[in-house]
Amino acid sequence: MPNSRENLLPAVDPAYCKGCARCIDACLHNCIEMGNEINPLTGLTPVILHLEDCTHCGLCVTACPEPYGLHMDSITDDYSAVRPETFDGVVKTRPKAASIPSTKIPIDPGKPILIKGTYASSIGAVLAGCRHFYGYPITPSTEGAELMAKLLPNLDGIFIQAVSEVAAINMLYGTGGAGLPCMTFTSSPGFSLMLEGISYMIGSEVPSVIVNIMRGGPGLGNIAPEQSDLKLVCHGLGHGNTQCVVLAPATPQEMLDLTMLAFDLTFKYRNPVIIIGDGYLGQITGKVSLPDYMIQPGLPDWAVYGDAGHRGNLIASIDITEPDLEARNIRLNHKYDTMIKAEQRSDSFFCEDAEILLVAMNTPAQMAKGAVQQLRSEGVKVGLFRPITAWPFPVDALAKLIPQIRQIVVVEASNGQLEDEIRLSLSKAGVTQLPPISFVRRFGGILPQTHEIVEKIHALEGVVA
Amino acid sequence: MSAFYNTFERHSHGEGLKGHSTHYCPGCGHGLAHKFLAESIDELGIQDRTIAISPVGCSVFLYYYMDVGNSQAAHGRAPAVAIGHKMANPNSIVVSYQGDGDLASIGLAEIISAAQMGLPISVIFVNNAIYGMTGGQMAPTTLKGMKTMTSPYGRNENMGSPLKMAELIAQMDSPIYVERVALFDSKQRIRAKKAIKKALQIQVENKGFSFVEVLAECPTHLHLSPSDAQDWVKNSMLPVFPLGVKKDVEPTHIFSFEKPSFESAKLLSLIGATAEDVPKFADTFPKHIDPLDISLKLAGSGGDGAQTAALLITRTAINEGFDSTHIPSYGPESRGGTSYADVHIAEMEVLSPSAPDPHILIAFNQPSMDKFAPKVRENGIIIGDSTVIHTMPAIDPTVKIVMVPMSAIATELGKIMVKNVVALGALQAATGLFPEQSFLTAIQQGLKDKKELFPLNVEAFHRGMEAALKSEKI
Repeated sequence: MPNSRENLLPAVDPAYCKGCARCIDACLHNCIEMGNEINPLTGLTPVILHLEDCTHCGLCVTACPEPYGLHMDSITDDYSAVRPETFDGVVKTRPKAASIPSTKIPIDPGKPILIKGTYASSIGAVLAGCRHFYGYPITPSTEGAELMAKLLPNLDGIFIQAVSEVAAINMLYGTGGAGLPCMTFTSSPGFSLMLEGISYMIGSEVPSVIVNIMRGGPGLGNIAPEQSDLKLVCHGLGHGNTQCVVLAPATPQEMLDLTMLAFDLTFKYRNPVIIIGDGYLGQITGKVSLPDYMIQPGLPDWAVYGDAGHRGNLIASIDITEPDLEARNIRLNHKYDTMIKAEQRSDSFFCEDAEILLVAMNTPAQMAKGAVQQLRSEGVKVGLFRPITAWPFPVDALAKLIPQIRQIVVVEASNGQLEDEIRLSLSKAGVTQLPPISFVRRFGGILPQTHEIVEKIHALEGVVA
Repeated sequence: MSAFYNTFERHSHGEGLKGHSTHYCPGCGHGLAHKFLAESIDELGIQDRTIAISPVGCSVFLYYYMDVGNSQAAHGRAPAVAIGHKMANPNSIVVSYQGDGDLASIGLAEIISAAQMGLPISVIFVNNAIYGMTGGQMAPTTLKGMKTMTSPYGRNENMGSPLKMAELIAQMDSPIYVERVALFDSKQRIRAKKAIKKALQIQVENKGFSFVEVLAECPTHLHLSPSDAQDWVKNSMLPVFPLGVKKDVEPTHIFSFEKPSFESAKLLSLIGATAEDVPKFADTFPKHIDPLDISLKLAGSGGDGAQTAALLITRTAINEGFDSTHIPSYGPESRGGTSYADVHIAEMEVLSPSAPDPHILIAFNQPSMDKFAPKVRENGIIIGDSTVIHTMPAIDPTVKIVMVPMSAIATELGKIMVKNVVALGALQAATGLFPEQSFLTAIQQGLKDKKELFPLNVEAFHRGMEAALKSEKI
């Protein structure tokens, strides 16, 4: 401070002076000169003070860029002996905030409601305590955002249409970093733009829920359903060693249920959770039952919330020294391992005695269910294995079925991305004796249809229709 | 006093001298900007409330030093992260501290949109005309002719001109305070401190967006002594980046935010949840059409009401305790072209939701009839608007055709919009899918606040029923 205080004089510990000489230029009385001795601790040459003509103006202190460089100190002390620890006196201890857990509020779920898949997800989010939404319009996910724009102002929540998906994901980074539940809806091209932010969130351990209603690609593609972001969500969430729990609902009901689960998991692991739907699932209207509770979120102790209890907290993904960054990676990997053990989810349909196993997710799984029903009526022993978590892939449940299966048929709206997940996860699980794997694949916005699946099975060796 | 940590534990774990000195080069302007920020935070008594956002650049390590809440952001994204923090806790004081590469190059979209959004955050923009952290490359603020690692022969005409962010931000509507300051002498430093404090004060008062551009020295990459770097800023940067207040206005309103509501009754009413019992009228699943799963396709032009009618059928089925789905065709098709909807009704669970070979087709125009009638399955039913459909494509001989002058009836009733309700009446009479009362209940629910339209809808429905019973093939 440039206050003239008669009892104070500038002082500097040579070890904290970098010798930039800004103070020399600032002093009106030539009290400071460049030193001529290199400080052995810093390798730099600190300034020397001659305070005979000092007017206590403090301009030199204002010129010093170092927090613990030049400072005004008591005239009675020997300035060279001053240590930074004494500047602020006693180290203040502040009470650290304890984590406030979220609370379950019982509600009367009433009758099932009739809503779109994206709406079901929005409703799941508000029931899970989400009051912050940031997004950018993109078909076929936009209705979810539109419903949030309608609901949140009435709940004194925040809806912001960001300048881009890049900005939207970083707004989530802010609110998630502040410890509050938040979400976005996007679709494939927008999801690509969010990957940078998702990598930062994973690195910084920031929770948030990202719903990707996948559409046809690559590039601008089209707005019809596809499942070709699977490799991104399972193996390409931005740069670095990144994983998220990825939930794959198949019905509007699951859009609601899994969105609520996503908010639970994102705080449980301090890691983003991705929900993948397909364009069809986003648009489909169906019957949805509400849960018998809603969530009022708490506030975690680690949050950068902007109050006394959370003051010392840091949200960051940078570790400039290698051992620190390795330690962060090991910690994250440990978390991923926990997710692999605890979060595998799947659904089996007529799998008990199945010899032919369909594997499908999202809406194609519904198409496959239709095929199973039809084929079973013909006496074909076929079942459907439906991963609900795309990552971690529910390999434990699948591996148990493998010995009884003589043929796997992967039904997907992508060029084999689900098949790759199956092969990779079985291989990692040590399942080496695989039955033949064939597929029904459509892309470009066309989903595999029930009759195509039935035809595929009919054409298999040993199947009599 | 200031808001610096007593010991910089995050700087190499606070070991040795790093516990009390910055990572900045001698004479770097960042240290001063940090100091003025730290002093302002302390003087305003907002240390507990402050969140500092440090994105990528030399100042990425702001969190080593500032004893506040810290959030480290991706390159250029700090204003978006700042908004996320501010909206999470509007009582927090959020500072986005950005360099010139960060703010004026990679983060242009974020800063421009945040400024015009105008939410109360404070941006400290450190402009030293060069990329520091990556090692002296050209910045958007690099002066013309200036040599950098990526403009080794000088910034020439092909590389554009220095970007004047303070002026750019000041000409927008929403920011309320924009100033450019410098650090090269005592007078400038006192002004810089004052400006930073004012930017925070404005946020404390919830007035809006504030922006302080700080012209700073990067002696290392300018290849100058700290003292010469000060002169360079004064003599070379100032003519391009004139100092001063660029905008300082009173806000049109003071921001205030309510605490989010978690009142369950309010939420349930908003999402349309109801505990009311809906009466059931059907005795059994319409097994005469299919024992398990019935599929319908409704097709017409955008505006024919195919989607609404489809939703009403879905609602009717769900009211009756069955499962049902509706999936629209969407996109460009829904904007004036062919609009079609697939509906499934299942006793237990709808499996495949699409209807490539429906049991029932409702066609509102000729193209829809031509396109979908051949796909209706054996023993299916086609219901068409005879006002506009005059020819039939080749169809399965077992399919029953019911033609009803939907448009003509609706026109007669004075509201063309009820055409789709006429169609529903025809559907009821022609197929016996669900009882009349089932449909009328769903229609009544669907009308929500427009209950006065119910009698008209009932009449349209009845006219559709009557016409279907009298229907003749084309």
